[in-house]
Amino acid sequence: MSVFDGLKFRKVYSPIHNLDPRMKFVYVCAMFVAAIIFGELIPLIALFLMPIPFVVLAGVQKEWLRSLRGAAFLAGFIFIINVATSFFYSGNVLTAVDVENAAAMTLRFVVLVESFSVFFLTTSPDHLGLALEQSRVPYEFAFAFTTAVRFVPVLAEEAQTIMDAQKARGLELEKGGILKRIRNYVPILIPLIVSAIRRSLELAEAMESRAWGATKKRTNLYALRLRRGDFALLAITVGLLVVAVYVRLYVPIPAVTQFL
Amino acid sequence: MTIIETKNLTYTYPGGTKPSINGVSIKVKKGEFVLITGPSGCGKTTLCRCFNGLVPHFYQGELKGEITVAGMDPTTHETHAMAKSVGLVFQNPENQLFALSVEKDVAFGLENLGMPREEMRERVEWALKLTDIHDLRERSPHEVSGGQQQRVAIAAVLAMQPEIIVLDEPTSFLDPLSAEKIFEVIHELNKEHGITVVLVEHRLDLTAKYADHIIIMDEGKVCFDGNPREILNTEETRLIGVGIPKATLLYHILKKEGLKLGDVTPLSSEEMAKLLQEAFKIK
Ligand SMILES: Nc1ncnc2c1ncn2[C@@H]1O[C@H](COP(=O)(O)OP(=O)(O)OP(=O)(O)O)[C@@H](O)[C@H]1O
Ligand SMILES: [Mg+2]
Repeated sequence: MSVFDGLKFRKVYSPIHNLDPRMKFVYVCAMFVAAIIFGELIPLIALFLMPIPFVVLAGVQKEWLRSLRGAAFLAGFIFIINVATSFFYSGNVLTAVDVENAAAMTLRFVVLVESFSVFFLTTSPDHLGLALEQSRVPYEFAFAFTTAVRFVPVLAEEAQTIMDAQKARGLELEKGGILKRIRNYVPILIPLIVSAIRRSLELAEAMESRAWGATKKRTNLYALRLRRGDFALLAITVGLLVVAVYVRLYVPIPAVTQFL
Repeated sequence: MTIIETKNLTYTYPGGTKPSINGVSIKVKKGEFVLITGPSGCGKTTLCRCFNGLVPHFYQGELKGEITVAGMDPTTHETHAMAKSVGLVFQNPENQLFALSVEKDVAFGLENLGMPREEMRERVEWALKLTDIHDLRERSPHEVSGGQQQRVAIAAVLAMQPEIIVLDEPTSFLDPLSAEKIFEVIHELNKEHGITVVLVEHRLDLTAKYADHIIIMDEGKVCFDGNPREILNTEETRLIGVGIPKATLLYHILKKEGLKLGDVTPLSSEEMAKLLQEAFKIK
């Protein structure tokens, strides 16, 4: 089951987890904007360091590091491409400035990934579904989202059961060339799809029986309310944007290479 | 007062060759505990689907005959309009829960009806307490046991305060002990809260004692309809393959062998034990 453990979510309570997901989303967007308007290394380093207090407060350091490690490969790729391009572009010479620019581009990517991962690491799916329900997204989408989250572990478990059952009947998954291996998965996929369809029919029946579609004006058991933490985050977000725009317009940003 | 009435109800699924229910005429009184049983494939589930209009709205196909449930005609009222009066609980607990917390699931129907939040809160609390799952309210539905899931499903239906609850083999995925607990909850809803219960069940051993009324179906038709003590005591019911309670069978055999037992047919082992005690006291 260990493969599927990552798909399960745990309810966690921390000051960051309790923030309104909508506000967190606005913050992530602000981070995006800030990361896009700067191409220099120094402000990007500052942006990279900014989420760390959040990560620590939420207690998700391990997961955060894991997601950074996941991004490392792509980041390395971006770095090499950037260095190589400027190397060939400027006639096979490599200056320190070129390396710094390549590093900045890479860091920009890392900042984007980082802010997204902080958002998803600290927002439980039910919170997210609730935010979807209470924003202008049509309820059907919000419902589809929460139901998907709810059924991913169930289907994963079922896939495991089917796999075990087929293996017990002599199916060898790890045998043959790549095409043969893909074909090996057909006896697992077919029962899985059939059962998913049956499941969805039963779900639809249960939804109908519980007054699905009775009124356009659906209400909600929970209300998302902005609290003190959310206003603090809003202040941080606005501050971030103001500082970013001001620095961009009026402050000349030195390159790291100037100090060398 | 009659709360469910069907006259000559006949229905064939789209693409089906023969009717899944055929000329069904039944009457259920308000406040009754009705048990529907019969061999697999005899149309019990199909009949339940008629009660809230899943047949014919969801399943399409043509429904012939007359049906009235809680004063409404399910063929002309949409299923969501019926949902306020008739609650359906299905066989597989896993596939009728969709939310990420138990209480949100219980509130699902009320949210759909657009009920104000304060009232919804009260209803949800009430339903959670009645089904004894108040402690689980913040858990995720797929993290609780099957028996608890089925109680969540019952609470979800209950929260809408229907007049009738229809349960289609609610315990077939459960162990006998959890099943017994579910039946006790259902019994209490019927006795204490006056909710009409229609229960489809094979395990008559555990449920016959609660029933006021039993309906036995075979091949889409109703073949017995009436008082459980009379009906379960007949030879024919056994031949159809109905799981007669063991106590009733024992009573039947002992009586045939000439043992003098009381006249009231027992439906549970407790009742049988009482009869035997009395029989031996006289000797
Ligand atoms: N969705 C469907 N589409 C087509 N035919 C169906 C459908 N559901 C049931 N049937 C058919 O209708 C008949 C009655 O089925 P139904 O499910 O009502 O029986 P049941 O008494 O509930 O059986 P069980 O005890 O196994 O649950 C069966 O012959 C079955 O094949
Ligand atoms: Mg059935």
